[in-house]
Amino acid sequence: MASAPPPPYRLLGGRIPYVDGPLKVTGRAEYTDDIQRPGMLVGRVLRSPWPHARLRSIDVREARAVPGVHAVLTGERYPTPFGVLPITHDETAIAVDKARYIGDIIAAVAARDERTAEEALARVRCEIDSLPEHADPRMGVSGVSEPIQKRSLPGTNIQKEVVQHFGDVDEAFRAARYTARVRGTFAGVTHAFTEPLVTIAEATPDGRLTVWSATQVPHYLHRALSEVLGIPLHRIRVIKPEVGGGFGGKSDPLPHEIACAALAIETGRPVKILFDREDVFYTNHGRHPTQNDVRVAADAEGNLLAYDIEALIDGGAWSSFGTVTTYYNGVLAMGPYRIPNFRYRGRRVYTNKPPSGAMRAHGGTNIRHSVEVALDELAEAMGRDPFDLRAQNALAPGSTTVNEFRITSTSFLDCLNAVRSASGWREKFRALPYGRGVGLGCGFYISGSNSPIHFTPKMPQSTVHLKVDMDGGIAVHSMQADIGQGSNTLLAAIVAEVLGVDLERVHVQRVDSDVSPVDLGSYSSRVTFMMGNAARAAAEELKGKLLAAAAAIRERPVSDISVGHERFEVAGAPDLAVPFLDALHKAMETTGALTASGSYQTQPRGGSFKGAKAGTAPAYSFAAYVAEVEVDVETGVYRVETIWAGFDCGRPLNRLAVEGQIEGSIHMGLGQVMGESMSYRGTRLLNPSLLEYKIPMPQQMPRIEIHLVGADDPDGPFGAKEAGEGPLIATLPAVGNALYDAIGVRFTELPITPDRVLRGIDRRRSEGRAWKGQ
Amino acid sequence: MHLDPFELHRPTTVEEAVGLAHDLAGRTDFVAGGTDLLPNYKMHLNVRPHLIALEDIPELRGRSLARIGAMERLADIESDAALARVYPGLADAVGEVATPLVRSSGTVGGNLLVETRCFFFNQSLFWRSSLGYCLKADGDKCHVVPQKERCYATFSGDVAPVLLVLDAEVEVAGPSGRRRIPLAALYDATGDGIRRLTLAPGELLVAVHLPEGARGRRARYKKLRVRPSYDFPELGVAVAGRWDAGRVASMHLAVGGVETYPRRFDELTAPLEGCALSDTAVRGLAEAVMRKLRPVHNTFLLPDYRRRMVEVYVRRAIAEAREGAAE
Repeated sequence: MASAPPPPYRLLGGRIPYVDGPLKVTGRAEYTDDIQRPGMLVGRVLRSPWPHARLRSIDVREARAVPGVHAVLTGERYPTPFGVLPITHDETAIAVDKARYIGDIIAAVAARDERTAEEALARVRCEIDSLPEHADPRMGVSGVSEPIQKRSLPGTNIQKEVVQHFGDVDEAFRAARYTARVRGTFAGVTHAFTEPLVTIAEATPDGRLTVWSATQVPHYLHRALSEVLGIPLHRIRVIKPEVGGGFGGKSDPLPHEIACAALAIETGRPVKILFDREDVFYTNHGRHPTQNDVRVAADAEGNLLAYDIEALIDGGAWSSFGTVTTYYNGVLAMGPYRIPNFRYRGRRVYTNKPPSGAMRAHGGTNIRHSVEVALDELAEAMGRDPFDLRAQNALAPGSTTVNEFRITSTSFLDCLNAVRSASGWREKFRALPYGRGVGLGCGFYISGSNSPIHFTPKMPQSTVHLKVDMDGGIAVHSMQADIGQGSNTLLAAIVAEVLGVDLERVHVQRVDSDVSPVDLGSYSSRVTFMMGNAARAAAEELKGKLLAAAAAIRERPVSDISVGHERFEVAGAPDLAVPFLDALHKAMETTGALTASGSYQTQPRGGSFKGAKAGTAPAYSFAAYVAEVEVDVETGVYRVETIWAGFDCGRPLNRLAVEGQIEGSIHMGLGQVMGESMSYRGTRLLNPSLLEYKIPMPQQMPRIEIHLVGADDPDGPFGAKEAGEGPLIATLPAVGNALYDAIGVRFTELPITPDRVLRGIDRRRSEGRAWKGQ
Repeated sequence: MHLDPFELHRPTTVEEAVGLAHDLAGRTDFVAGGTDLLPNYKMHLNVRPHLIALEDIPELRGRSLARIGAMERLADIESDAALARVYPGLADAVGEVATPLVRSSGTVGGNLLVETRCFFFNQSLFWRSSLGYCLKADGDKCHVVPQKERCYATFSGDVAPVLLVLDAEVEVAGPSGRRRIPLAALYDATGDGIRRLTLAPGELLVAVHLPEGARGRRARYKKLRVRPSYDFPELGVAVAGRWDAGRVASMHLAVGGVETYPRRFDELTAPLEGCALSDTAVRGLAEAVMRKLRPVHNTFLLPDYRRRMVEVYVRRAIAEAREGAAE
């Protein structure tokens, strides 16, 4: 329910129900698949059944001859490679020359209905040469005769290698009193958003192309369409209807979106491609299967001295965000603690599997689990409480990390304190009976990537336009992408807060590149911070016009006028307050409808070394979680009973949304801990369905107690930072470390399935090492 | 994924249904709740051009303590207080099937006859084509245990083990008339994941009959799965027993979710009758059951783990059945 915020704000900081909630819960919100265009055709794609094959010829003549088929396309029609990062364009709309994984798109068809489309696809004849398949990234680091992609390091399938060294790690380890080492293994996981991928495209006789798509980043889709199809940006219109979840899986421009547009151009008819769940699994772009090796060192007093990290990252067939991923798997270890010496070697290797990409808490999740488990080990070796070790090493507000991250606000210590006391840690840690335990996991995350991905860095990251006409309704335009996280609500609330009006006056318009100013969309937890600042700037501009008009009406200086609720107050004269509409109509006398524009641009951050921008952000969120678990030591089945979540997102602007993000993040994090896994036999995905991909059920959710302890961030809008991704990270190590407290077994391989728990218990017993008397 | 078109027949009597099945032999399936068959059809698994819906046949309905019509919905059985009071184990097992949504369509007959499952079978046409298909559909090799003779697809119903330990019988109608057989005889213990039933072509399950003797038994069902709903069993253990002054008056045990058919272990439980059941005896029984089962790697959990859980689940099921009997 709605509730009032703490002062000084009227809306922000309270619990604000989503402005689009009533439409969504009544089924009236329009998602892409709800859209019907006259004469619309069904588009379908043909997928490669081969993991790695040279496409010698693809004969589509028979497919084209099927009655009701309007077009069949193969890769050579639009061979221009694309990708979300400008430096690693290695994807194509439809495979050219080679198929690179089971599920790679090798042809696309537009037909009058689904059955006809499938019949046509069944008649496509391919001649191929099978190529050696690469399932294991370890096999791709040398001696590769037939690389998956041309652009890998010579003789390998290595897509990206990152080597960084700050300080002197070897010397730090020599000087260390305590060290710990964790070798982590992480299965790939995928977003499993509710709304499957879906795109509609329509090319019209006026020379324009319109694309409706379930996307998190309409702007990057816009660019990719233009590049691959060779159509200037201004002749392409990208519309983002409601989107049913993304979690990073809709942030790349995707091949089917471009293929759909190509089919629309080819046929002159609107074409819709709607994926089923199996298609979505093959599209993937989820969290990378990863192996890492983390060594940590501390001195006799418990001061952390160094991290030494290696990561081997399974990229699948394409680059996607992979270059960023490779950096993040190292540099996102650099908070929330002071690490004076740091060395990292990360390699991302192509394999013949569905491409990995960005997924919620991208790049920061797997490394965080290994680091936090290592710190737990370190604390145990020292005989220190894990809280004390972390508190002692916490980054201070206003500090700079050794790799030059600028830490402005941090309430990490408050996160620690809140959950330490709420969880009853002192009474529980190492004191609960065998099979029951508590664990601490911490984290931090970027509040928006400081560097935009595209090559026009001088353009603002976010722009918001406002228009208000005589009806008093305020139309808000921006290309920010609400994908269910509530950014439309926040956008409306910021405008309403600044102008003092009721929320229902503010109408956030559907994202439409013809009218929405560019915002880089929903990824890297950037929206609240960047769009929020842009929205505030736009609303302030509009406010200035209205204050001036109110001042003119009352013939008082502007400095006497202030924003009230649906009116403008006159200093010392409550009776002279000017109603909102009166001020508006006065302001419109010379210009007509009022417009205003605000934007946000990040300031230059980071050092000058290679890769220095990776992981820089205008602010960072912080988290400390305690999990309490109960293990059935006969079956290995465990239950996470409670998670106490201490989180610093600065000032939470919509508590309802922040709490939702934390609960959803914990659910997603638990999935990666407890059972979610892209399971492969070689290069073959065994479980491309929601039945066999084990997302936790509601019954498995723990009790969640949220402690929002952030102080205002100096640069965040109204003091806010991100809350969309950081809340996931701490979930994993909190559970892992709680399992250790319960049964004395370190889990470094995820997911932690019951059979692994049982094997761990067996191992410990066979070694004769009792735990809590058992 | 889409369903290929099929012709739907809606008979109103058992005889009519059986006659249709006879006439359409090899080209039809019966469809009850459709929660198993239709997803399989979408994956183009052994699709037939005719479907005979059992929806409109009154004789397949009806619930009493003695008889449950094959078309009774799982959700209705689950919420039937009289059945739950007398057969608590049945209510347990029914409530463990899939999700409430599936149970509102799924039927008891459908669950008894549910298609056997395997990672390499329950996949889309595209997925299977990329692997070269399998013994159970469109192919000639097994990807679980590579050979050409036997299919290891797993029996994955939850209701059968409990009905087995309650000595349920099933009524079957076919072209050559009606017969009533023990439930155990519905399943082909000498078959495999493909030849899994003893039903003759065109035969139809009419009802489940529960004998008087089942009413005094306290049955329990324990299901192993990764998540507490939605998932098919990776192991299901049902136990029913009667205790007399601390001694076993009778005990029955059945296991599903591991082999190609749900299996009773009378040869292991019969010798216990008349004995005081010590923890050692229970453990011995549990281990003996475990030794007789050989799960293969065709489900999410690893076979070694599932096998080990047989021992744990048998012990736990017995303990709970005993507790239930003492109530």
